Amino acid sequence: MSQHAVSFSGVEKTYRRPGLTGASYHTALKDLSFEIPAGEVTGLLGLNGAGKTTIMKLITGLLFPTAGKVKVFGHSPSDAAAKARVGFLPELPYFPPQLKPAAALRYYGSLSGLYGPALDAAVEAAMRRTGLEPHAGKRVSEFSKGMLQRLGLAQALLHAPDLLVLDEPVSGLDPLAIHDIRGLLASLNAEGRAVFLSSHSISEVEKLCSRVLIMVQGRLAAVVKRQEWEAAPGGLEGIFVEAVR
Amino acid sequence: MRAGRLLPLAALLAWLAGGLAAASLGGSGYPPPSALRSTAASASWDMGALAFGARRLFADLWFVRLMQYYGTPEIPEDGHDEASCAEPGHHHHHYGLNGEGRYPLFLPISLHVLQLDPYFGAAALYSAGSLAFNMNRPADAEAVLRFALAYDQRAWKHLNLLAAIGYSRSGDPAAVAAALAPMLKDPDCPVMLKQQAAFLNKRIGNYAAAAAIYADIAATSRDQAYVANARRELQKLASAAGGRP
Amino acid sequence: MMRRLSLLRAVALDSFLSGTRDKLFTLFSVFAFTAVYASVLAGVMAVDQEARVLSDMGLALMELTALAYALFSASTALLREAETKTIYLVFSRPVPRGLYLAGKLGGSLLTSALMLAVMAAMHLLLLRLRGFGVPDCYGWALAGSFLKLAVITSFALFVSLFSTSAVSTLVISGIMWTLGHFAPEARFLAEKAEGLRAAALKTALFLVPNLQLLNARDASGSACALPAAALVPAVCWVLACYLGALWLLRRKEF
Repeated sequence: MSQHAVSFSGVEKTYRRPGLTGASYHTALKDLSFEIPAGEVTGLLGLNGAGKTTIMKLITGLLFPTAGKVKVFGHSPSDAAAKARVGFLPELPYFPPQLKPAAALRYYGSLSGLYGPALDAAVEAAMRRTGLEPHAGKRVSEFSKGMLQRLGLAQALLHAPDLLVLDEPVSGLDPLAIHDIRGLLASLNAEGRAVFLSSHSISEVEKLCSRVLIMVQGRLAAVVKRQEWEAAPGGLEGIFVEAVR
Repeated sequence: MRAGRLLPLAALLAWLAGGLAAASLGGSGYPPPSALRSTAASASWDMGALAFGARRLFADLWFVRLMQYYGTPEIPEDGHDEASCAEPGHHHHHYGLNGEGRYPLFLPISLHVLQLDPYFGAAALYSAGSLAFNMNRPADAEAVLRFALAYDQRAWKHLNLLAAIGYSRSGDPAAVAAALAPMLKDPDCPVMLKQQAAFLNKRIGNYAAAAAIYADIAATSRDQAYVANARRELQKLASAAGGRP
Repeated sequence: MMRRLSLLRAVALDSFLSGTRDKLFTLFSVFAFTAVYASVLAGVMAVDQEARVLSDMGLALMELTALAYALFSASTALLREAETKTIYLVFSRPVPRGLYLAGKLGGSLLTSALMLAVMAAMHLLLLRLRGFGVPDCYGWALAGSFLKLAVITSFALFVSLFSTSAVSTLVISGIMWTLGHFAPEARFLAEKAEGLRAAALKTALFLVPNLQLLNARDASGSACALPAAALVPAVCWVLACYLGALWLLRRKEF
């Protein structure tokens, strides 16, 4: 069993964009190496275009590295063994508006390999856990942004993953929704699940994470532990500003 | 990875196998494109017929055009209407006319219908019957039937009509009526041929047979002009029968 | 095995339900109904050939309507999922891409089959109202249309994985559709041609699926029954498109 939920070793990711006069290339990540320890909450900070979403997609097997190695629980991210242990919440997830939450969850649960009574139980548990139960009769089209985010989290939790990869999980939410989601993530971490989240909100990352990776233009600029930012005079914000300038 | 490399080869082989299997299944049985004698107006229609695999449908549309063309009275060069048919009761589809006339486009359109779908039996019989019995162009009628027979050798009705045309040329109305008789109950038999048969039977004094054919026309045809004429003829035959000892 | 079957069923069902939920499906149904009704007017003009005209026109319109829907849905299926990011939720899970593709194709074909069935019911009802029964070879015509749709849908799915837009997929697949119906004519020309031209035409014949072979709707004379052997090329072409699409999808990043 791997000690690390995720490990990046010398990873490079270059995007190729075909054009009329030949392809253009953009390197999003350069020589990136880091680990995400199992059972910890790790944050990912960076300005727009720093490579945060690229990292998340590499972990979830949606992108393939141009160079280097990515391992998720010791497996390639494309392996079913790795994917079965990862739950992913992309930024602004979309669900068909005419569906009710349980129907959407049933679909994603079945894609996670659940069926029969196990699927029913997983859907029910995810709805309860994310506070969607009172809204079970509503359609997705009637959902607020906060409820959509809860539904996004619910689909990521269905198969009880050991690692949750969350891209901007509190972006655009009202304070009460942020509070609820923070509580949910803390309780998931208390169960031993690793959480890897990206955010533009330094204060949220500060509250939730025990470790933070700071990305600058595709490179890892700093890895900061809670004790370090708590001891720093400007806190995490000061360290971040220093790193990205 | 190895399987990934074999996929394009497997796809190509499957595609070629499809081509090979299709090649062994033979042709469509339709005339080749070189047989389509297109006018400028019909060329794009013919392209549509071939491109969308709708030869039957386009043959239908050309047949409707043929009937519209033939159903429109010709204005003769001397400015007078065509003379009515000398034979009493010899009514045709045409408004106020008996189908006589030059109709120079009738043969090309008829042939075009059959070039698109030589198995369109009703069209072949209608065209040949009109050419032979209404327009007195037996050679053209034979050309139409021979074209259809080249593709549909089992079309016995075409052979019967060819025989009827031959008898008509030799001035033997009884033989014409006899040659037409077997096809009268066939659903493909055009109503104009039924009417021709009824008319000939009446002319040779076979009133019962004529009445039976008129009754069939009145009961089955969707062409109101023919139906009205058949009813008129039935009335005439009934009153004549009342006067006969 | 159970898990794989359940996955396949889930993807196919989702594809089918989203197809039937789509407003586009309703629009096409309305269009088909209107078009078939319009064919009644054309049928009336054909007088005693009304039954044949109604049958031919209805079948052709049904096929074209289903074709338009199938091409549109196949060319946008993956594109739309990528745009809405729902594909992230799919491929971040242990869903084999081959199974996903098979499910998408299956759902799309199921939608086409439903469309054909609904339109055929409308068409037969119209024929009945005009006093006609079920035309000869009607079932074969529908089966042929479905097989042609299966070939072109899988082809469109394959093309959508490398084309730059849904429009280009539609255009390429549309061209393939028309070429497929020209195949017998191309064969005739190939037999007449000589030398390099003949070789080029004969090669092209292997590369273009002969859709006319499956075109029972437009079959000559009474030869409308599809031979069982006609299934072989249809299955080969669908399989080839599936394998080609899988090859592209396996390498595709989202």
